[in-house]
Amino acid sequence: MPPKPAAPGAPARNLFHPLPIPPSADDMCPVCKTIRYLNRDMEFLINPECYHTMCLNCVNRLFTDGPNQCPYAGCSRTLRRKGFRSAFFGDLAVEREVDVRRRVAAVFNRVEDDFETARDWDNYLQMVEDLTFDLVHGTGEKRGEAEKVLVRWEGEHKGEIERNRRAGREREEQARRRMGLEKDAARERRVAALREVEEERRERAASKEAELDGIAAAPDGRGGVQLKRRGQVVRAVEAAAAATAEVGRLSIRGLKEKGKPRGAEGPYDPFGGVDFAPSRYRLGEGLAHPQVDKYRFDQGHVTGGYSFEEWTARAMYEAFAGLGVFVEDEKEAGIGLSSREIATIASGIAAVGDKMELD
Amino acid sequence: MAVSPLIVHPTEGTLLPSRPLSSPLKRQQQATHSAVASSNGTPALARPPGQDLQAGLGMSLDLVEQMNEDEKRKYVKGRKLGEGTYANVYLGHARHDPAVRVAIKKIKVQKEFRDGLAPDAVRELKHLQELHHPNIINLLSVFSSKDQNLNLVLEYLPLGDLEELIRDVDHVRYGAADIKAWMGMLTRAVWFCHDNCVLHRDIKPNNLLIAADGEVKLADFGLARSFADPGRKMTANVITRWYRPPELLFGARHYSGAVDVWSVGLVFAELVIRAPFLPGNSEVEQIALICRQIGTPTDDNWPGVTQLKEYTVPSDVTPVWDKSAYMGRFGAVGAEGVDLLMRTLALDPRKRITAREMLEHRWWRTEPRPTRKEELPRKQDGGEDKMGSDLKRRNGVVEDENNNNARGAKVARKLDFGATK
Repeated sequence: MPPKPAAPGAPARNLFHPLPIPPSADDMCPVCKTIRYLNRDMEFLINPECYHTMCLNCVNRLFTDGPNQCPYAGCSRTLRRKGFRSAFFGDLAVEREVDVRRRVAAVFNRVEDDFETARDWDNYLQMVEDLTFDLVHGTGEKRGEAEKVLVRWEGEHKGEIERNRRAGREREEQARRRMGLEKDAARERRVAALREVEEERRERAASKEAELDGIAAAPDGRGGVQLKRRGQVVRAVEAAAAATAEVGRLSIRGLKEKGKPRGAEGPYDPFGGVDFAPSRYRLGEGLAHPQVDKYRFDQGHVTGGYSFEEWTARAMYEAFAGLGVFVEDEKEAGIGLSSREIATIASGIAAVGDKMELD
Repeated sequence: MAVSPLIVHPTEGTLLPSRPLSSPLKRQQQATHSAVASSNGTPALARPPGQDLQAGLGMSLDLVEQMNEDEKRKYVKGRKLGEGTYANVYLGHARHDPAVRVAIKKIKVQKEFRDGLAPDAVRELKHLQELHHPNIINLLSVFSSKDQNLNLVLEYLPLGDLEELIRDVDHVRYGAADIKAWMGMLTRAVWFCHDNCVLHRDIKPNNLLIAADGEVKLADFGLARSFADPGRKMTANVITRWYRPPELLFGARHYSGAVDVWSVGLVFAELVIRAPFLPGNSEVEQIALICRQIGTPTDDNWPGVTQLKEYTVPSDVTPVWDKSAYMGRFGAVGAEGVDLLMRTLALDPRKRITAREMLEHRWWRTEPRPTRKEELPRKQDGGEDKMGSDLKRRNGVVEDENNNNARGAKVARKLDFGATK
């Protein structure tokens, strides 16, 4: 999480009325100065426009006839009857921050899976959190700016936001369904297990000489429930929409490319696409060497399975290893080697240089 | 999953270059990356030494110490995943990007080997530094920390090992296509080792770790060695007993890649029946099991076997079982799969199929097609701890008797209250 903590209520106190919400006899409506002692059912409302508290009577009195100015001195907001609600939190600074966060979260509703790396995701979270912080605690200019960014983002990415929202809902739905399914499966498994135990018992009683080994080793054919976690639902592919990253538009870095088609699979390659067949020589049959031939019919080597083919293959490989590597060429092309390494190689060649050329 | 792509993390720095396949003897286009420039595979220094480092560390370090320091600073060591007698395993991440997670295996200084490195550590280092393949655990870096401790930086494999999947009969279900996919990855790894003249000599399900994307990776090269020249003896006391081939049980000192192929065959069998195929409690019992389940090695089916130093078989000779006997037990993988299994379990190592021939077998091309690695069954939790315990084991040591029995009897190894909901 970003370094800016959401300190509830500490700053920005001056913006709001620090009225305690829990009902007490001293509760007083700051507008009409009525106290709870006089009106037991007094109810305090706020309007998220300016979060100024007033009692239900005042709201009815002031706003029944349509929009009106906030009755607080110095507050020039125009409020409507419809906007009023009772606060959820006692501390109105918290109430406001929650509202702001709810609003930001509705706009920036990406999930971690959308990002290529954890770092991109973290950067995105940081960006969102900075914006939220500006909205909540920023003063004047900063707040206005953040507001602008939020509105602009909402405008430019309406489609995506809507899609993410739907995806989120779908995910929730799926999770719920999966949980249900898993629960059912677990129950069925339990029942099946019970039944199996029962069956086994009966079987054992029936045949005294039942091959116990057979029972243990037999593939257990428990109920037909198979909860293989494969084939995770591939999300619908919306190809064109995501790709329109025009210049000047706000964009997030590091989003995964969506709808990458799964490469068509060719036939299974047991070798994994690697081939070590020698290209510069061919391994013939019956390669011999006097040093080795005396072992060829040695009982210890033959019976133990020592492989002379493996040995000749290795000997041939070692004989040809390094041929076809041209340091000069690589030096010019500079592929992958740093200048320092080239210098090392070059000095190595200089040291033995003449001998190598003889070959 | 025809080609298993290497996981390439986006990196700004020079760390973790996407390595193509590479090996000590068969370097293909090695010139294209700089991190493994030197002949022994030590990652080269990213920047010329002695520029900014010297300012920070003072002039007291020589070039080697500086390179080591530089390598060490690339990783941040995190919490401990496991501790063993042989090594501690820590979770770590790359300094420049916390998303790149690694496992750091810190090998303890051992009393017997005060004068140098423990031989198993050397073996592991030597071969892992050179072998780079999607199905072999990737060694990213090596550095020493204070007290001359050796630290191996390995890629982080969070999904446990194949043994857990095989044992977890209640929660993990898999079919022929999944077995084919796992076997394909294992066989490729073994083939790659053999083609690069390396014998692994400790293939078993709990040395097959599983990466986040489902890729199976061969790990634990503590018993590996390169092919011996003719006339040079190798030790017969390698490979965990259950997976040890008859020629090693009979004390052969000159052997080939066929020993690994036998282990692969037993892993294959274990994948199908979901229990160790030949769980012998001692070497004598192991030989007896082989004789009973596969057939008694005699001079007829394996010329010269009676001359081997430690050749002892039970007196009642069992003929080598034919295909129909295998079909009854391993029929789940189809006729072709059984054929491949029988070839890997040939008693005579010369008649045993090689890793390359395994990959050329018809089974890979028959239905069902191997499962995509992302869709392979996987376990739910506890991966971190498991990698910790997998790596901290002393390399190549056969688990003790009690432990084997306990495992065979399917005793719950750990109470896990988190898993039961």
